[in-house]
Amino acid sequence: MYGGDEVSAVVVDLGSHSCKAGYAGDDAPKAVFPAVVGSIEQTESSALMKAEGDSDAKAADTKASTKAADAEKTNMGRKLFVGNQALGFRRDYMEVVPAMKDGLIADWDVVEAIWDHALRERLLVDPKEHPMLLAEPSFNTQKQREKTVELMFEKYQIPAVFLAKNAVLTSFASGRATSLVVDCGGGSTTVAAVHDGYVLNKAIVRSPIGGEVLTDCLLNIMETKNVVVSIRPRFSFKRREVRSGEFEIIKQDFPNTTESYCKYMQRVVAADIKEAVCRVPDTTFDENGYANLPTTPYELPDGQTIEVGAERFKIPDLLFSPSLIQTIPGMEKLSAESGSNLRGLPSMVIDSINKCDVDIRRELFSSILLAGGTAAMQQMKERLEKELMEEAPQAARVKVLASGNAIERRFSVWIGGSILASLGSFQQMWFSKAEYEEHGSAYVQRKCP
Amino acid sequence: MEAAVLDAGSKYLKAGLAVPDQDPSIVIPTAMTKAIDEDLGKENGWLSDESQWLHDTVYPIQRGVVKDWDAMEDLWRYVFYTDLGWEVGSEGQVLMADPLLTSKTLKEKTVQIMFETFNVNGFYAVEQAVLSIYAVGRISGCAIDIGHGKIDIAPVWEGAVQHNAVKRLEVSGQDLTFLLGEELEKSNPQTKLDSSTVEMLKETYGITADDQEEYAKKAEGCTTVEHTLPDGQTIKIGKERYTVGEALFQPSFLGVEGYSVAEQLVRSVLLCVPSESQKPLIENIVLCGGTSTMKGLWKSNTIVEHFQLVLLGWKREMNAIGFDTRFQKEASLLGTPSFRPSIIKPPEYMPENTMKNSAWIGGAILAKVVFPQNQHITKAEYDESGPSIVHRKCY
Repeated sequence: MYGGDEVSAVVVDLGSHSCKAGYAGDDAPKAVFPAVVGSIEQTESSALMKAEGDSDAKAADTKASTKAADAEKTNMGRKLFVGNQALGFRRDYMEVVPAMKDGLIADWDVVEAIWDHALRERLLVDPKEHPMLLAEPSFNTQKQREKTVELMFEKYQIPAVFLAKNAVLTSFASGRATSLVVDCGGGSTTVAAVHDGYVLNKAIVRSPIGGEVLTDCLLNIMETKNVVVSIRPRFSFKRREVRSGEFEIIKQDFPNTTESYCKYMQRVVAADIKEAVCRVPDTTFDENGYANLPTTPYELPDGQTIEVGAERFKIPDLLFSPSLIQTIPGMEKLSAESGSNLRGLPSMVIDSINKCDVDIRRELFSSILLAGGTAAMQQMKERLEKELMEEAPQAARVKVLASGNAIERRFSVWIGGSILASLGSFQQMWFSKAEYEEHGSAYVQRKCP
Repeated sequence: MEAAVLDAGSKYLKAGLAVPDQDPSIVIPTAMTKAIDEDLGKENGWLSDESQWLHDTVYPIQRGVVKDWDAMEDLWRYVFYTDLGWEVGSEGQVLMADPLLTSKTLKEKTVQIMFETFNVNGFYAVEQAVLSIYAVGRISGCAIDIGHGKIDIAPVWEGAVQHNAVKRLEVSGQDLTFLLGEELEKSNPQTKLDSSTVEMLKETYGITADDQEEYAKKAEGCTTVEHTLPDGQTIKIGKERYTVGEALFQPSFLGVEGYSVAEQLVRSVLLCVPSESQKPLIENIVLCGGTSTMKGLWKSNTIVEHFQLVLLGWKREMNAIGFDTRFQKEASLLGTPSFRPSIIKPPEYMPENTMKNSAWIGGAILAKVVFPQNQHITKAEYDESGPSIVHRKCY
């Protein structure tokens, strides 16, 4: 049992889009940076050419097949660049590799690099002195949990660890033990029911539509609509002063920049457009109804202005009516993959509640929590409430709760972790190093339910 | 009695009583020479004079972080009892300026030494970036501190540092000195130069070119200056002096993969949430730190923005452009019509060297507010809660 003195715990929440890390007891994470890394292959030049060819496939592969590809190359090594500063600098041949795929950890090297960066470079802590609270997806597999715990104890030598599910932490952040958590994150949307601090596994419903899908859709629409004005990544242009006060844009060509990096930087710009301009419509999106709406201007980093029209409402409505995705050019791949599995947010909520016991359904309806970056969009709460009231059974009283502050919604999982780790009564629940050495990593199932 | 304000940097330690609108009364190098006491076998440290940078000098602060706690303690002891004239038993209150990214353990250690070894009456710690913003009379802005050991970029919104957008660059005045040393060695192979001489040369001759094209022209051909060293040798300095000024805008000179400092600043502001605050932040840039006072090129037909008069042996024309003007130029190239980076100038009633000592001056201003209102950590509170109180009271 790890008592825990004054030394404060460190809370790390690694999601599909960003990693949030900070000290327990704080009201916001100190370090927030993307959960992707830049990777440059460190092989001889001939292997480098080969690497460029199949690196796209590699980035999407899971750990197992990556290993097989590795075995082919001799002297295989990757230099990884983590964090805003390192990732933001354009380097030749640098690929963008995500850490998570489908909400679960795909590449353990990348995850290690991210943890290293968070702990040693951003928070400047010595892992040996701080217990770690890690947030994990509500549907995490036993194998991943064991590997996480093993990595933490063996590599970082931490004194104690606890793995808490995202939904539970969000629940704590709002001060409730029972609620239905709708987590609209970057990589996917998850609806999970929490009862008395435990996630009900059979009631978890997931959808692959998350913030990143919305960003991609916006990017595709913008590209097909605007032929003259294109979204240029920051590194591809430079400004020069022609006369006093007047600037001209010079295009800069970097032929060795990888496709994935270009796309990544374009997505960064598109994500900013999405956050600035998009709003959830009050009713289902209707192409004709919104056609005559005045457009909103948005200034791109190179100074050009684009007009955003009906897309402002179409993109967020994807969460509610996923069939719209077929009308967006370039997104056919996604709709083909998931096909009829895509469901709107309201039906996911109803589905999840119906899978729970009859007794708790009423309580779940009256405490629906919104969390995640994508849920910070304007009017999201009102629209969800409206749709649910229509579809829910008559007797149920539907109440959707969301923190007013957009920042709190984005970091609600992390904030819940911060609250949990600083509770006095939590200090006896840590999974300590002694227990790990005695019982092994499989014990995590018992200690962190 | 007034509180003492301490700002310990990698090169200079600025200290003094908190009298606002004035320069710190004590500016000493953060360096100690060790003396081995043969009798007791212990080591005492004392301060070495600026003119004697001996080889076995100890620099307790490296890259902004305290590395040698014993030397640091001795240094603080010297500042408190000798320079400030405190008496043992009636110590005053201290306001410390911390660099960014100070870990919790470091803060606790500092507080512990202050209260237990020096028995101070009250203590408060603030980040240097916030103090620099206060020194120019604002509470929000983007502070970029180009010091000797490190460059810190920190957007501050209403007195709170936006930790997520903070950037720490490990290139700084120290590296510029090294670069100059290397370049001079190449062009003057017979002369032996030690680091303190190169440091002096950098400060005297380092110059920022107008922009990149100007630099390219100078690199091709420019006037060479001859300088006589104290030991009688002469060295020629040509384009090396421009290289020093350019290195921060093209970090590839220093062997670092990264964008120029101006671009780092713009990108850092873009990371700030909420996005509405980005515009006011970028329009209030505070450029501070010793290296940012680098001189610029003298040109008679350019508009004066900021100039520093230095009288030296060689011919000078009328006006000059300094580091901050070049910075402003580079930063405006990165803006858009609605996003205009601009540097704030300190108010006129502030002393000359505000930008060099901005963290200290801001500290003096803040000390007048914090201590009278009892927002600081008192001895009683420390005795009760221990060092971890620093996280609760000072953030």
